[in-house]
Amino acid sequence: MFLHNVSLICFLCSYLVALALELTQFVRRTTAARIGTLLFGVAGFVAHTTYLLGRSQLHDLPPLLSSTYDWMLVSAWLAMALYLGVQLWSPKLSLGIFAIPIVLMLIGVAPFTSRVPIPQVSQMRWWSMLHASLWSIGILGILLACLASLMYLVQHYRLKSKQVELPALHLLSLERLSRINWWLVVVSVPLQTLGMATGLWMIYLSKKGEHPVDLLSSTVVINAVMWVVMALLFGWMLGAKNPTGRLVAFRTILGCLFMVLTLLAMKIGSADIIHGFSSPQQAGGNP
Amino acid sequence: MNVRVVYCNHQSADLTVRERLAFPSSESLERAYRELRNRFPRSEHVVISTCNRVELYCAQEDPTDAPEHRDLIRFLADFHQLPMETLLSEMLEYQGPDAVRHLFEVASSIDSMVLGESQIVNQIKSAYEIALRTDANGPLTSALFQRAISVSGRVRTETKLSEGKVSIASVAVGEFGKSIFDRFDDKTVLVVGAGEMATETLVYLQGEGVREINVCNRSLERAQRIAAEFNGVAHSWDELQRCLGRADVIVSTTGAERPVITADLMKTVRRESGPRPLFMLDLGAPRDVEPAVGNIDDGIFLYDIDDLESTCERNRKKRVLEIHQARRIIEEETSKFMRDVYHKATGPIVKRLRENWEEVSRQELEILFRKLPDLGDRERQAIEKSIYRVVNKLLHPPLETLRDEARTGTPHGMISTIKRLFQLND
Repeated sequence: MFLHNVSLICFLCSYLVALALELTQFVRRTTAARIGTLLFGVAGFVAHTTYLLGRSQLHDLPPLLSSTYDWMLVSAWLAMALYLGVQLWSPKLSLGIFAIPIVLMLIGVAPFTSRVPIPQVSQMRWWSMLHASLWSIGILGILLACLASLMYLVQHYRLKSKQVELPALHLLSLERLSRINWWLVVVSVPLQTLGMATGLWMIYLSKKGEHPVDLLSSTVVINAVMWVVMALLFGWMLGAKNPTGRLVAFRTILGCLFMVLTLLAMKIGSADIIHGFSSPQQAGGNP
Repeated sequence: MNVRVVYCNHQSADLTVRERLAFPSSESLERAYRELRNRFPRSEHVVISTCNRVELYCAQEDPTDAPEHRDLIRFLADFHQLPMETLLSEMLEYQGPDAVRHLFEVASSIDSMVLGESQIVNQIKSAYEIALRTDANGPLTSALFQRAISVSGRVRTETKLSEGKVSIASVAVGEFGKSIFDRFDDKTVLVVGAGEMATETLVYLQGEGVREINVCNRSLERAQRIAAEFNGVAHSWDELQRCLGRADVIVSTTGAERPVITADLMKTVRRESGPRPLFMLDLGAPRDVEPAVGNIDDGIFLYDIDDLESTCERNRKKRVLEIHQARRIIEEETSKFMRDVYHKATGPIVKRLRENWEEVSRQELEILFRKLPDLGDRERQAIEKSIYRVVNKLLHPPLETLRDEARTGTPHGMISTIKRLFQLND
């Protein structure tokens, strides 16, 4: 019963308050505000978890498989979990102003995507689970790499312009940010590749089922283009001779922006015909 | 005693100004002292030249011998071949107790960019020793500088100013170095120069875990001495380019009068080493690294002394109570020093006046005793005591007034009046 009382607004508001408290640190740094940020973050996270469990029970499917809407919320949940984990490990780190907006963006975009479970899931449950997990974690990894790159650029700008570190903007060193960025891209792109491969395998399997999928459908083509861009970034990072950290950060951000815009355009432009309907109205569901 | 200081420091002038006014080597200081002696033969001088300040102290017994502010500025302008008009607006001045207080603050590192740093005391000692060696100083500046060093010791003992980040290296590495690198134990450090600043920097960097240390200096012998102290490797000056290419952290602290690491040299180095992160700390004044080096590529992070000003200011605000306590000690010591100086100035006149009067009374007593030969020893002693009491009572009011006057400054007017009244010739 309790699970059904939690709505998206509950954790969205909690995260918004956490972000607002994080921003107050730029005006005046207080312990109360820091603790407040963490408390609202944890409260939102509990509500978020409860909501996802409710969704899972409703469709009798893991949240990742339910719909694109759930994918978004699971990605936001993972990002929030990571943020809270890092914050507990290093409370002085100013991660909130970078991580919470990404969480909010994912939650904010979710209502504009389909809530209807993907039709092929019932036929290929385990393949679907693997495919969704690989893509979701791969996409989240690139988003986090983008976040690390953004932090790198902020830190790089401060150091180049010889500015004193703001207490509210304590970031990791360039060396560590660069390393985190590299590993995130190097791990995420192969995951996306595997996601792509499982997707193609599922298309092959779908030919024998009730809902066959065309290999040249817009979803497959757009995802393939996105994957190629990511693979190029991956190849460049592994093969480039003496790239500067700043250039790596710029290219990661560009790659991530391309990925996000492609995903959004596909979802909002009704181009995704495989992973459910593009909008709740089309699906006939409640917003 | 008349004491005056003309100075510029990190608060009043940019590094671009300070480096043009600096006396980077003992040779240039010796040359400056010779010139000062020629221009102002009746003055004593001490010059303090560090990366944070250039200060010229001069003292004379007689105020009429004191060079004017303009004279001292003209000396600096001529010595460094700079236009005097520029310096007039850059150089500040203190006189008398204010100058003494200023020196005490400098020696106690209250006036330093890095609050509590200990290097300034050694720099003051070194400046004083060079002045001593070249006969530029004298009893007045000796008393002043010795007191300054003892005040510095008192401030360090009675306050907590020397605790925490108290070196330029610690501030630079803490604020910038640790934002570039995660750790230092896998980094190669190159120290260019082999002075005291180099040693201090290496002590800090070794504390941060640095293991690979290279020291490059024009004098290989000095480089070897420092390298041996820190388990590093000494390199001759010819190897500078190769050392630059291998380093992750470069600290330059030479006493060179012009940059030793030029943009052209670094471009060549970076072409070979690639654009990997490089933390460069230029602690020289004049600067050792051309500012254009910082713009060669994205990986070079170059900082000079002035770039640390904001961080030091933030640290200073956190330690306002300690500064307050140090200032209280300095104020007390300044008053004490000035009192001693003024009393010293009135001492000779008091002595002469007393000797004169005692001589007069002795002569009169002799005449009296010759006229009264029948007096016994007891009577003679009683008369002598009475006479001395009279002398003391008569001397008491003028001497007390003189002492009162000496509490606020040398009572030149009163000393001259007393000399005229009692005909005390020099």
